[in-house]
Amino acid sequence: MIEQFLQGLAMAMRPDTILWMCAGLFGGMLVGALPGFTTLMAMAILLPISFFLDPLVGIPFLLGVYKGGIFGGSIPAILVSMPGTGAAVATTIDGYQLTKKGQSRKALDIALVSSVFGDTFSDIATILMIFPIALLVMQFGPPEIFAVLLLSLVVIAVTSGGNPIKSLIMILFGIWLSFIGTDPLGGVERFTFGLFDLKSGIPLLPMLIGVFAIPEIASVVMRSNQGQALAAVVGERLSWSELKRCFRTMCRSSVIGASIGIVPGLGQVVAAMMGYSAAKNASKTPENFGKGEIEGVAAAESANNAVNGPTLVPLLTLGIPGDNVTAILLGAFVAQGLRPGPQLFEEHGATVFGILIAMVIANLLFLVIGYLSVPFFSRLVTIKNAVLVPVVIMFAFAGAYVFRSDSFDLLMLVAFGAIGLIARAARFNLMPMVMGFILGPPMEYAFGQTMAMAQNAPIQFLFTERIGMVGVLAITPVIGILLWRRMRSVSMS
Amino acid sequence: MDSLNRRLDPEVLVAGTLLILSCLSILFMSHLVAAPKVLFGRSLTAIAPTLFPYMILSSLAVLNAIFVLRCILRPEKIWLEGSGESNDWKRGVLLFCVMLFYALTMTVFGFFTSSALSLAMISMLVGNRSPVGIIPTAVVPPILLYLVATRVLAVSLPELSEIEFFIAGVLGETGQAERPSQ
Repeated sequence: MIEQFLQGLAMAMRPDTILWMCAGLFGGMLVGALPGFTTLMAMAILLPISFFLDPLVGIPFLLGVYKGGIFGGSIPAILVSMPGTGAAVATTIDGYQLTKKGQSRKALDIALVSSVFGDTFSDIATILMIFPIALLVMQFGPPEIFAVLLLSLVVIAVTSGGNPIKSLIMILFGIWLSFIGTDPLGGVERFTFGLFDLKSGIPLLPMLIGVFAIPEIASVVMRSNQGQALAAVVGERLSWSELKRCFRTMCRSSVIGASIGIVPGLGQVVAAMMGYSAAKNASKTPENFGKGEIEGVAAAESANNAVNGPTLVPLLTLGIPGDNVTAILLGAFVAQGLRPGPQLFEEHGATVFGILIAMVIANLLFLVIGYLSVPFFSRLVTIKNAVLVPVVIMFAFAGAYVFRSDSFDLLMLVAFGAIGLIARAARFNLMPMVMGFILGPPMEYAFGQTMAMAQNAPIQFLFTERIGMVGVLAITPVIGILLWRRMRSVSMS
Repeated sequence: MDSLNRRLDPEVLVAGTLLILSCLSILFMSHLVAAPKVLFGRSLTAIAPTLFPYMILSSLAVLNAIFVLRCILRPEKIWLEGSGESNDWKRGVLLFCVMLFYALTMTVFGFFTSSALSLAMISMLVGNRSPVGIIPTAVVPPILLYLVATRVLAVSLPELSEIEFFIAGVLGETGQAERPSQ
C-alpha cells in the first residue's frame, strides 16, 4: 500500500494535473460566483472535457470545479445575499450582514480560509478511512452488494429531502429508465420500442447534463427580468487574531461536514446548516449570529466544504454516488474505464491514491487562486444573463455531443431537460432518479447472481450461507425509519 | 374548488402519469421485453429478463397509487411541498423549442451556423434586444469553442466542410482539414 501511495504521489505531482486542477478551480469559482448558476451545472457541462484527458488529469480537473464552485457560491451570497449555490445559503446569514457593515473583504477572506480548512480536513480524513473500508468491501459477494445497494437507495430516498414516498417514486422511475436497452444478465432487449439508438440504453452523459444543467438554465430564463445588484469588495482583510478566534469553530464544522459527507444523500446544505447551528449553540455570544458574526461564515463554509472528500468514500469503495456531484464524478470514472467499487483498489490503487492526493494539492492551489482572484470573481456577480445563458446552453449541447458524436444524444439532452423541468415544477427531486438509474443495473446484476448462487432455494441459501445479507436487509427499514424521523425533526427545527 | 386544484396539481399529475405508464408497461411487458435466450431448452440466466422489471414497476405503481390517493382523499394533510416559483412558463416553452431546433440542426447546418442561430434566439429570449449585444453573443462563443474543441482538445464537432476548410485556410493549416463531416 505504501508503494501505491508513493506512486500516487508521483502521479499527482504531474505538471499537467496541477495545471488542469487550477483550470478547474478557476472554472468552478467562475460559475459558482454567478447567481443562479450552480456547481452542479458547472460540473455537468464541463464533464465531457474530462473524458478527453488522462484519468489523473480529468478527474482532478472535475474535483477542482467542485471545490471552486462550492466556494464560488459564497461570493454572491456574501456580496448581494444571493447564494450562488444551495451550499452557500447558511453563509448568506452572516456574510451579507458583514457586507452591509462594509466588511465584505473580511467575510470573503474567512469564507476562503474556512473552505480550504474544511476541504483539507475532509480530504485527509478520506485518505485515512477509504482503504480500510475498501479492504472490508473486498470481502463482499453479490448478495452483500445487492443488500448494500438496496440500503443505499433507502437512505437516499429518506435523506434527499422532501417526501420520502416521492423520492422512492423517483428512484424506481430511475431504475425503470435503466431497463431501457440490453438486459445486464441475459443480453436481451428491453423497452427499446424497436429503436436502434436505444439498444445500448440511455446514455448517461446527456442524461446528467439534461437533468442537472438544463432545468437550472430554464429557471434562469423564466425569471430573468431581475435587476443585477451592485457588488464591491471593500473593508479590511482578515486579521490573524480573528482567524485564531474562528479556529475551534472551523474544526467543529469540519468534523460535522465530514461525518455528513459519508451518508449518501445529505450533502452540503444540511452540513452548512448543522455547522452553523452548532457554532451558534457553542458560542458565548449567540446573539451576534445573524448580525454579521465572522464565526457564522466560518462555520457554514467549513462544514459545506468538508462534505466534499467523504462523499467519495461510498463512491470509490462501493460505486454508490452519495449525491448529484458524485453521480457526475461516477460518469467521469466510468468514461475513463475506472469502474468504482471494490475492484478499483485492486486494479488501480495507485491511481486512486493519486486522485486523493491531488485533492489535497488542489486545496493549496485553491487558497492561492482564491486569495488573488476574489476581487475579479466578485465583479462576475453583475454579468447579464443575456450573455451567460446562451453560452452555457452552447457548452451543454457541445458537451452532450462530443462523447459519442451522435445527434441522438442531443435529443436525449432536450428530453431529459424537459423531464427535469417538469419534475422541478411538480417538486420531485431529481437526484434519487439519477441514483436509481445508476444503481439499477448493478443491483439487478447482483440480484441475478445471488439467485444463481442460491440454485432455486434462495431462503435456505441466505439463512445458511449469507447471514450478513439477511442482517443488512433486516436493518434497512429500521435505518430508513430512524433517518426519516431525524430528518423531519431537523427540518422542523 | 380546493379539491379540484389538488387534483390538477403538477405533483398529482406527474404521479398519475407514472401510475398509468407503469400499469401499461406491466400489462404489455411481454411485448416490451424480448424473449430470454434458451440453450438446449434451458434459460441462460437464473432470472427471467422480466422479473426485475415486474418487481420495480409493481412497486412504482403501488407507490404512485398511494401518493395520488392520499393527495386526493386527504387534502387537509400537507403532502404538497413548497410554494413553487412564479415563473414565466411561456419563455420556458420557447426555450425548449429553440433547444429542439438546436438539437435537430446541429449535424445538418454544422455546429457554427446552428449555434449562431440558436444563441441569437436564446439571447433575445433572455431579454437582449440590441443587435450590438446579440451578434457578438451569437458569433464569438461558437467560434472560440469550435477552435478550442477541434484544435486544443482534439475532439470533433459537426461542421460543414466549406466552413472547416475556410477555418483551416485562415489558420494557415495545409493538407486535409481535420474532420469535414458533411
